[in-house]
Amino acid sequence: MGFLVLFLLFIPFSFVCQAAEPIIIGVPTSLGFLEGAEGLNSVNLAVEEINAKGGVTIKGVKHPLKVEAIDIRDAAPGVPVPEALLGIEKLILEKKIKAIVLAPFRSEALLASMDIISKYKVPMLATTAMSPDYSKKILESPEKYKYCFRVCLDAPYLVGYLKGGMEFVNKEFGFKKVFIMHQDVAWARATGNAMAGILKNAGWEVLGQEAYPTGAGDFSAGLMKTRQSGAQVILPIFDMPQSGTLVKQWNTMKIPALLVGFISPLAGPGAWKTFDRKIDGAMNAIFEVGNVPVKKIPKSVAFYEAYKKRYNKEIEAGHCPAPAYDSVYILAEAIEKAGSIDPDAVTAAIEKTDRQGAIGRIRFGKNHQVIFGNDPKETAMACIIQWSKNGARDIVFPESVAEAKIHLPEGLKSAK
Amino acid sequence: MWIGTLIYGFINSVILALIALGFNLTFGISGVANFAYGAFYILAGYGTWILINTLKIPFVAAIVLAILSTMLIGALLYRVVLLRIRGLVISEVIATFGIGLAILEFFRYLGFIGFEYTLPVFIDGSLSIFGTFVDYQRLLIVGIGCLLALFLWAFTHYTKIGLAFRGIAQEERTALSLGINTDWIAMLSVAFGAGLSALAAITILPLGTISVEGGYDILINALAVCIVGGLGSTGGVILASFLIGYAQMITSTYLGPHWIMIVSLVAILTILAVKPSGLFGKQKELEERI
Repeated sequence: MGFLVLFLLFIPFSFVCQAAEPIIIGVPTSLGFLEGAEGLNSVNLAVEEINAKGGVTIKGVKHPLKVEAIDIRDAAPGVPVPEALLGIEKLILEKKIKAIVLAPFRSEALLASMDIISKYKVPMLATTAMSPDYSKKILESPEKYKYCFRVCLDAPYLVGYLKGGMEFVNKEFGFKKVFIMHQDVAWARATGNAMAGILKNAGWEVLGQEAYPTGAGDFSAGLMKTRQSGAQVILPIFDMPQSGTLVKQWNTMKIPALLVGFISPLAGPGAWKTFDRKIDGAMNAIFEVGNVPVKKIPKSVAFYEAYKKRYNKEIEAGHCPAPAYDSVYILAEAIEKAGSIDPDAVTAAIEKTDRQGAIGRIRFGKNHQVIFGNDPKETAMACIIQWSKNGARDIVFPESVAEAKIHLPEGLKSAK
Repeated sequence: MWIGTLIYGFINSVILALIALGFNLTFGISGVANFAYGAFYILAGYGTWILINTLKIPFVAAIVLAILSTMLIGALLYRVVLLRIRGLVISEVIATFGIGLAILEFFRYLGFIGFEYTLPVFIDGSLSIFGTFVDYQRLLIVGIGCLLALFLWAFTHYTKIGLAFRGIAQEERTALSLGINTDWIAMLSVAFGAGLSALAAITILPLGTISVEGGYDILINALAVCIVGGLGSTGGVILASFLIGYAQMITSTYLGPHWIMIVSLVAILTILAVKPSGLFGKQKELEERI
């Protein structure tokens, strides 16, 4: 009888001893910002899905995944980069994380974190910051920065999509005069400058280019210049909440120009209500499909629906959630392929990734950047949506996944 | 173009004045620099949003409730915290800044992030003034700003509480000897300041979206205007609002918007170098203090 009691008492203990160690994934980003918060939700969703199937298999043993998130506030104005980086070191040293997903929000912090990643040898899959310097540094010192990857769209790819969108607008309506307005942060500056050069070379008249500091809440001066210069298209590039004021002023000042670019508050389905149903015709880039469901990419729809079901709300961010979700699967697959959590082995396996995800087909280039293009069977994809009169987000570009024809809002006339 | 600059410069100036008047009122009367001011602004914004969208309370009732609740929270801030440290300037600043930080970050913690938070405009539509389209909400802001300045003047000259406000602003101990309960009046000044921040929020926030970061920007703008105008001087605040407002608009139009951020900074540095007490400030000049 005594033996039986002892046996029963030790059953749970023996299970604890045999339970596989969880693999801890770090999420250091700006959790107080929409992209960071929804990105973390997506990471948790992927982790829950993987754990529901038992976890990640290493040499026949299933290991559950565990998420350790920290708000490094790098996107908040005035937070110094070194302070933000302390959060990453804390995760590495105290939480013993084996990999990082999402990663710093702002490019300035992401670039500065690369040396820490190199020092502690922790594979990192970035899904928010977009500066091309990240990939450039990896190409220049591939051995040193081999642990750094980026799954989301980067600025050069964004430029490619915006260029395509502008060419499309030109083809459809004959517009050739543009005014560029962008936020004064690294990725937006890089994108704005690149777009100005590209559009000029493509025969567009760039009538003005203005940089707005983060937090700016009045765009009347720029919009008056837009009107005076006769611009037919405004190309905005902003990821700050205050950029919603630009949309409202564009509407109330009755600026006769089409909005084609990226304004973060215009990306999600909530924009229709936020802007009082007055955004018909505005075109906005969605940096990765999956953040908006694209019928021709079934996994993007599956992810979008799974997110909606799990959190009882739709994705509002046009950037980050889908690649954050895919990052966990990329990592899990790489660990299984490597058969260990050794950073060098995992890194080598990540480099060989080739899978269909919510963002399309995922493969990395030599610069450790996921390859984006216009064919979801071959590459990952971004897209451009256009707000319709009934409040739907119609996918209008690229044509390979377009679900509707581009249209002009009321009051705007084609130049053709 | 210059007409547009004049019009939007004027609107920008009134917006700055609306933002700064509450901060200035509290400081001018009780001497408390309420660094939770920006947080009260955002608190009123989110509060109104919750009242309208979650509790489905009619717009006008929500506005009244939001202003009254923010005033009550301001009064509580004074009664519970500031009363114990009144006169210890550094402690007041640290306490109010800490409480402001806690309020703002609490909203972030509650998940008030994203772009769907905005308040409805009072009247929809816009009007062309000499070829420049201006929305009715901005015109209303101008009207409310002018009415508020008039109201504050009348209130402090013709009402018992207003006269008591001026009394403790001029000489607190003498006011006390004349039977004015200075703690009560100081508490009212913090509450009124908070109420004015709520009024500013309800009129200005429909122009954009509500975000936690906005609270920090509001505090910085209020501080810049008050420092330039002279802490405690309503006339100074209004003049400084127009100086900074037009300087920002002209800078944005003719130099580029990325220079806007330094306008307030240059104004503060210039005023501190030339007239440290501000344009109409009645505090001791730097040389006198030395």
